Amino acid sequence: MEKSNLISLMKRIQKDRDEMAFSEIFNFFAPKINAYFIQNRIKIETSEELTQEVLSTVWVKSNLYDSNKSALSTWIFTIARNKKVDFFRKNSNINFQEEDIREFLYQDREVDPIEENEAKKQIEKINNELDEQQKIMIKMNFFENKSHKKIADELEIPLGTVKSRLRHILTKMQGFLR
Amino acid sequence: MNGTVVKNQLIFDFASGILGPAKSLFASTYLQLNSNASKISNTFENMLGENLMDNENIHPKNLKYTDCINSENIQSDSNLKDPITSLFGNLNNLDWKQVYKGFKEYTASIDDKDELKLIKMDPGVSVPLHSHGGKEYILVLEGSFCDEYGEYSKGDIQINDQKIKHTPIASKDTGCVCLSITEKDVIFFGKYGSFLNLFTFIKSFFKQK
Repeated sequence: MEKSNLISLMKRIQKDRDEMAFSEIFNFFAPKINAYFIQNRIKIETSEELTQEVLSTVWVKSNLYDSNKSALSTWIFTIARNKKVDFFRKNSNINFQEEDIREFLYQDREVDPIEENEAKKQIEKINNELDEQQKIMIKMNFFENKSHKKIADELEIPLGTVKSRLRHILTKMQGFLR
Repeated sequence: MNGTVVKNQLIFDFASGILGPAKSLFASTYLQLNSNASKISNTFENMLGENLMDNENIHPKNLKYTDCINSENIQSDSNLKDPITSLFGNLNNLDWKQVYKGFKEYTASIDDKDELKLIKMDPGVSVPLHSHGGKEYILVLEGSFCDEYGEYSKGDIQINDQKIKHTPIASKDTGCVCLSITEKDVIFFGKYGSFLNLFTFIKSFFKQK
């Protein structure tokens, strides 16, 4: 689906509470969000519950989305990521003497539109400069949160190579992130 | 690995949502105080958003869009809170422990493998030359300090590994308050080194009990 298309669907939800527009957003994102949770080693039933929570949030809090500030996919990713953090927090066996501070760490930061434009340019640069395998490694490491060992197994390369390649990618990205 | 890469690693890990409580608090405070770090985090979140956009599809079996419209279980917005204040309250009212004259610390009671501390140094006070058993992360919250590697003011972080030996000195005008994370205990050198090492050893002994 085109990004501009997603934004116009989102506007219909914001203005008219348009359920048909929401069903299209749902159809596009639900399987991708569900896959994200499964990739992050969350069991299938739970992944569907979390997917429901993410998309309910999109519906209920649609007015918080500002297309000038961030891409819709970024906004939805951060909601899904926060649900994941919350899920692991509640299900960890760590015994917290006080309330877990992570509860309020992932709150909305104000992003100004200029920053957003800069971010877009930087992403273009990064996408042009990184090759396919480097992009896959970033996805495996930071999106799917796979261990270096798991990445090594899946890509069939030695563990040391995974570590040195990731280091190389981070160093390379440093050049674009200024 | 150079320092900037380690900083970015911290920002990326935070954006991925995989850090433990201590490092999460550290990273989120860093993003709050440092606009450059916040920009990098924003860029990286956009990259992860694109990963979501292009992600494979695993269709939920028991979920329809109407389930999301009718769902009642969405909590209202939590108020925006400042993590440091929420955890520590007013820094002036803290029960600071004096480690030596002009150097105080307060350890947060967080159950995590990393230790989260506030450090307060009076103007001009220095820390004896030391290195680190594991990584140490320092974020300046107020004032500034300098060492052999440069000057660090509000919103700057310094990440030290085993190889680094340094002698931080708090600014003569303002002193400094820093947030620190230590992965393992610090090793001291110099005149008071053996005494301070003994002190950290004894401290760790009591901690285990």
